[in-house]
Amino acid sequence: MHYESGIHIEIGTILFQLAAFIILMLLVGRFALRPMLQTMKQRQDHIEGQIKSAEESRKEAEKLLEEQKAELSRTRQEAKEIIERAKAQSEREAEEIIKGAHERAERMIQEATAEIKREKEKALASLREEVGTLSIQLASKLLEKELDKKGQAKLVATYLEEVGRLQ
Amino acid sequence: MNLRRMENTPKLTFHLAGLPITFDVTVMIGTTVTCVAVFLIAWLATRRRALVPSGIQNVVEMLVEFTRGLVRSNLDAKTSEKFYSFAFTLFFYLLIANQLGLMFNIVTESDHVSAAWWKSPTADINGPLAMAFVITIVAHFLGIRKSPKKYGAHYFQPFWWMFPLHLIDEIAKPLTHGMRLWANIFAGEVLVFVLLKAAWVGIPLNVIWIGYSVFVGIIQAYVFTILAMVYMSQKLSTDH
Repeated sequence: MHYESGIHIEIGTILFQLAAFIILMLLVGRFALRPMLQTMKQRQDHIEGQIKSAEESRKEAEKLLEEQKAELSRTRQEAKEIIERAKAQSEREAEEIIKGAHERAERMIQEATAEIKREKEKALASLREEVGTLSIQLASKLLEKELDKKGQAKLVATYLEEVGRLQ
Repeated sequence: MNLRRMENTPKLTFHLAGLPITFDVTVMIGTTVTCVAVFLIAWLATRRRALVPSGIQNVVEMLVEFTRGLVRSNLDAKTSEKFYSFAFTLFFYLLIANQLGLMFNIVTESDHVSAAWWKSPTADINGPLAMAFVITIVAHFLGIRKSPKKYGAHYFQPFWWMFPLHLIDEIAKPLTHGMRLWANIFAGEVLVFVLLKAAWVGIPLNVIWIGYSVFVGIIQAYVFTILAMVYMSQKLSTDH
């Protein structure tokens, strides 16, 4: 071993440095860089996969949303139709009910009128009968009191006349 | 002189077939420490990997992303995969190596000889220059392998007499590539040492300078890595 200063080209130092660097390069490449690059590649693939799947699920979500929207609007339309139909039906029914009520009322009025008429006629007939009977009774009572042959004849005549007029 | 003492490093020299082969012990220590630190940090960050990263995994993943970006901005997608571990290791290694000499200094004194045992491996010219030249050689090799015809034709474009300029360019590239890194880190450490000798006046200046050197170390790690990728892409690109 000796000591020296200054700038010299030394074969030994050169060889040592080159050999050390080449060995280092091989070792680093084999034990550090290759697994590291693998991991980085894996990560890249993973991220790409994630982005792709996220894109896919976004598309699917959009599709589902579109479907749901269409479904909702269809349902709304249906509900509207049902309500309208129900409304129309109820109006029709109400009209029918009112019409029916009118008709029945009309019929009842007619019936009542006919009844009244019939009753009136019945009453009139019975009254007429009653008056006839009463007048006969009255007349017989009067006749029992003061009847002569002449008066009787006259009376009968007037009665007959009256009966004829009445009928 | 103090500066000389700080620069004094222990060396080991062997002779192989009459050729002296010198090893700088301080640089070897620095290189080893950096390599171990880089591997431990990268390895620990990878131990428990989670899809949702946290702590150290985050930091290392940021480095991976960053260096991957550097490679991808220079090379096409298929070729760039082969350079990921190179760019990542290079940037991470330089990031730590450049800061190593700023932390502290170990100086021993024996037999009136002082020696520094701790410094950035990139503050020694051998490492950066060797790396730059190896990167250039690999780039040329890849260029030739891809298309020898195109590689050869490139030296005579756009005019045949530009051949010498191309030659100078090809040599200047690795030279400036390595020396830029070395000079920046070396200068940072020298000034830290000089300011340390300036008694109390140097303390606030040193704090500022060390902060700046940390910044320079990060920038130089980035510059060295991106230039390495640029030189590779110049030789690999189809339109050249």
